Amino acid sequence: MTTDWRPNIVAFCCNWCAYAGADLAGVNRKQYAPEVRILRVMCSGRISAGMMMRAFTAGADGVMVLGCHPGDCHYKVGNIQAQERVKQVREIIELAGIEPDRLLLQWVSASEGDLFAHTINEFTELIKSLGPLGGGRDAP
Amino acid sequence: MRPFSPRQVVEHTLLDGTVPADRGIWQCMNCGMCTEVCQNGVRFHEYIRTLRPELALKLQPQRNHGAVPCQIMSLNARAGIVPNRQRWILPGQRTDDDSETLLFVGCTPYLDILFRYLRLDLLGIPRSALTLLNQMDISPRVIRDERCCGHDAYWEGDDELFEKLVHLNVEAFDRVGTSTVVTFCPECASSIRDLYPRVVGPLGFEVRTLLEVLTDGIEEGKIELRRDGETLTYHDPCRLGRHLGVYEPPRKIVSSLGSLTEMPRSRQLGPCCGVSGWMECGAETRPWQMERLAEAAETGASRMVTACPKCLIHLSCAMSENLPLLPRAKLPLVDIHVLAESRLAR
Repeated sequence: MTTDWRPNIVAFCCNWCAYAGADLAGVNRKQYAPEVRILRVMCSGRISAGMMMRAFTAGADGVMVLGCHPGDCHYKVGNIQAQERVKQVREIIELAGIEPDRLLLQWVSASEGDLFAHTINEFTELIKSLGPLGGGRDAP
Repeated sequence: MRPFSPRQVVEHTLLDGTVPADRGIWQCMNCGMCTEVCQNGVRFHEYIRTLRPELALKLQPQRNHGAVPCQIMSLNARAGIVPNRQRWILPGQRTDDDSETLLFVGCTPYLDILFRYLRLDLLGIPRSALTLLNQMDISPRVIRDERCCGHDAYWEGDDELFEKLVHLNVEAFDRVGTSTVVTFCPECASSIRDLYPRVVGPLGFEVRTLLEVLTDGIEEGKIELRRDGETLTYHDPCRLGRHLGVYEPPRKIVSSLGSLTEMPRSRQLGPCCGVSGWMECGAETRPWQMERLAEAAETGASRMVTACPKCLIHLSCAMSENLPLLPRAKLPLVDIHVLAESRLAR
């Protein structure tokens, strides 16, 4: 592993809470790790197990799913579906040899800009300590 | 069902020199039935495979289950990511890290997670397989870093991915010193036995299905199965039957568990379960599957036995949906290994 390695992190953010939280973090000039690529989706329930897995096969070292707090989902239960799927994918990737901690689920509301920046920073630190996925061998 | 003409596909490719953007080419299950009945010996399922890489440039297959099985395969092909595959083994079961017999588990533990909603207890299949082997005084080795067998990659025409998986698996087999690979999944068996030599040349080990090992065990008196009056019918998985030519061992086992009634379409002409490679499952698959289930129910059997985890999943999935044919097509499905294990005379 080279010392200048920087992780690739994909953050799926729901339009109504987490993405608005990211906006707020920006408006409040909160600093957060630049390694994260934010993908906006309408709801965390939109993110299928295949999409989370695809992020890993496409070269992500860590994947975040950020949605509304339970009960706050714009579509009522999308975030609960996301929770179930994340649980399932964590089991699958663990079997496949990927640390389950590389997939994170976190609820971030539109008013929690601080929490957004904090979550991103902590997760980036975690991924940095875990190192590149598969030791960086034959990464895509 | 939409008409799909194999002859037309061949004509199109021969006359135009291009692969038609026909979804039927993705819908083919490579079950080998047309190869079986072809009077001119055309290996049509292999031919379809050779068309797929070019077709993929024009038309992508419709992947089911969020393409998760396909992603698992890609992750498995990365040498740096070492799977951890032994957690399904129950405390009382024996494995031996010096054994020359290797139990190849395949993707069933992944499918158990992915298809939990069908409540099939898929882990029961590898567990039963191991118990049956233990009963015959075989403590197989189960390797930790086993990869996907690459079956789906091969039939999709993705040679690069398939070769990566083959090399990783064969290296793992050779590293631990293997003389026999035993599998309970027909897809794994047919890929390792028949397809791996195309990449790495002759294999230094023998590949056997668990059913063959079990029939030998029964004949040698190493294992005894209890028989009862249940009427069973047996569905031939295409990889086990037409691809591997294993027709008799499962029948011997089913007959030793109960009385076997055959469906009208069985053995060489037994239809596939309807989906292969986790793609193109849709409106055209269901009637096919319901027809098969109705056929099984009409034999009067109380249960339908199958020998492939994929057949079990696909047919159970069809049955879990509320379809018009259902009342006459409802009969429980069971995996042959799980059934045999439940009838062990202990």
